[in-house]
Parts: sequence; structure tokens; C-alpha cells
Amino acid sequence: MCWVCDAYGDPNYGDGKWYLNPKNHSRQMYTIKKPGQKPAEYGSDPEATAGRSVGEIMKTRYEDPEKFQQLVKEANAMKEKSPFQIGQVIPIQEAFEVVDMSYPVTSMSCICRLHSRAHEEKNEHEYSCTGLGVGMFKWERWPERYKGGVNFMAPDEAKEWLVKWNKKGMVHILMTFGGSYVGGICNCDYPDCGMIRHRVDYGITTGCLKSHWVAQMDYDLCNGCGICVQRCQFGAIKFEVTMEKTNIDQMKCFGCGLCETACPRKAISLIDRMSMPGLREVW
Amino acid sequence: MAAPNFAVITVDSQKCQTPFDCKRCLEGCPQSVFAVRAVKVERGRETDPKEPGTYMLVVPYRDKCTGCNLCLELCPVDALTITFPGIQGS
Repeated sequence: MCWVCDAYGDPNYGDGKWYLNPKNHSRQMYTIKKPGQKPAEYGSDPEATAGRSVGEIMKTRYEDPEKFQQLVKEANAMKEKSPFQIGQVIPIQEAFEVVDMSYPVTSMSCICRLHSRAHEEKNEHEYSCTGLGVGMFKWERWPERYKGGVNFMAPDEAKEWLVKWNKKGMVHILMTFGGSYVGGICNCDYPDCGMIRHRVDYGITTGCLKSHWVAQMDYDLCNGCGICVQRCQFGAIKFEVTMEKTNIDQMKCFGCGLCETACPRKAISLIDRMSMPGLREVW
Repeated sequence: MAAPNFAVITVDSQKCQTPFDCKRCLEGCPQSVFAVRAVKVERGRETDPKEPGTYMLVVPYRDKCTGCNLCLELCPVDALTITFPGIQGS
């Protein structure tokens, strides 16, 4: 289990996985600042707080790269005390379990792509980000964050919609909004997505932890067609010329399962990260 | 350790007035070094992207710039400059 499960999981639910613990989806976990009251410990706007914290660290890389490395190391070691949002990659099967558990489920525009590529998603056919939980009923409070509103979806509709983005090749990443409150499932790619970029390019782990799974190739079934190579957003899959087959670097693998869903010969399977002694501590 | 030889990218905001509407550099950069920020927000809402001065082009990832100069070619108003102060002959 990852450190988030150790801190926020419940062994009675979902094998102790933190995002399958109903408490982390509960209404009581969602707190907003009321007039005259102090905000919760993580602030009244956890997303903005996390953004500022990452921004402060990122700034130092231009002036003092060594200090930057040190700050990243410290931030990663803080774990559940980290000021950052917690994010974790999940395969689509687990995303289905999460949308079954959470209410309401909505789609909305992606803020990362809006900033990084000026990519506007204007209606429910274009929305690519999932918002979960009671906070979605109050989207009008942040009109700029939820440009154009949110689209409420039934669980089955949400699953179809997740499949659509999975087919396009987006990685599903869980997002928390304050503590361990599960507030969304982003559909991300590199380099538009801030969380993947901060992890892959700068080593900030908290926002994009690896999933509890890891992809494994069955070499007898693989014919080297290379379809999975295009699907990997983390550079973990290469075409190995000598073997004329695809090679998955499990150390680099984030366990998103995009290669698994695309493989026409079913040669790739997701296996439990905890079953691999060398990967148990690789998050 | 001395500061690394990252690119210094300047944006002339007098020339670049509607980056959100134009978005050529944002979409064209292979390294995705640019980002767009709302400047004018009224009552929590941003104003029309086509209105000059409502958005600002920023360069959060200039450490990823390779100096390919594609953005300079794409920019219709010549608002961008790229220099590598630490590299001789650039």
C-alpha cells in the first residue's frame, strides 16, 4: 500500500485503498469557509494553496538549482503533511469504482489545458475533467474555475465518458481537494497536465503518485505491433529492436493501464504492485 | 553552483494584447513553455478573450526552451524575444 493508504485508507473497504474508503468521499469531509469562521487547516481554497506552494518551489529552479532540488526532496518527504494536493494515477477499472462511490459525478473543463495550451472546452461534449462530490453543487462560487458550468452525470454515463477519454489516450489521475477528500478524476496527458509535468520533469511526486498496479507484458503474445508505445505518457514503453517486441520498463511504469486497454492481442496485463518486491516502495 | 544557462524569453505585452484568442505560440511550442493567465477579472468572471489586455502571456517553463525559435516565426506581432545569456554566440 502507498503512504496515502497508510494515512487515509480503511482495511474494511476496498482492500485498504484510500480512494475506495467511503469516508474520503463523504460530505463531512468537504468544508468551505463560512463567514466569521476560521477555514479548515488546509485553507478555504486548497487548490489555490497547493498551486502557490508548488509555484514558490518552482520559482527557485532559475536562481538556485541546488536549493530547488533540496526543496523538492523536502516536500516529497512531508507526505500527508504536504501542502500539495494529493494525486494518484488509477486504471479505468478503479475509476469506475470511484464514480460508483461518489456523488454527484460531473464533467467540466480542464484548467491545465486552458492555461498551458489555451485549449477551451466549451460544452459537455468537450469537457475532459471529472469533478466529484458535493462541492460540484456550488460551482457558481468559482465561475472562472468552472467556466461554462458543470455537467452532472449518472454513474453509467460517467463510465461511458471515462471510456471515451481512455480511448483517446488520457491518463486518469485522482485529485484531492483539501486533506484526503477525493474531489476529482483528471484525464491527463504530457506536457499539458501540470501534475504529470511536475512529476516527470521536476520530480515532485505528491501530485501524481503511481497507481497500485503495474503493467506486465506477455512476450509470447506480443507481436511487436507498437500500438502500446504511443499510449504511454510516461516514456515507460519502448520498441525493443533486438527482440522485435515491445518492452515495458516497470520501474518507470505508472500503472495507468492505457497500454492494457489498447493491446489488440491482450498481451499486457495489470498486476498488483505489492506482488513485486522491487516495486513495493516505488510510488 | 552558478545559475544554469536557461533561455530568457521576453513578452512585449504592448504588442501581445490578445494571447488567449491568438494562441499560436501556446499551441505551437514543442516544449509547451508558455501559459496564459487572466489579468482582468470582474466579480470572479474573466472578460472577453478578444478584448485587448484581458489576458497575459507568461513563460513558466523557460528552462525547457531549446531555442528552436518556432514561436518567433509563429508570432504575428513580433512580441517575443529569446536569448541565452549564458551561452556565447547565441
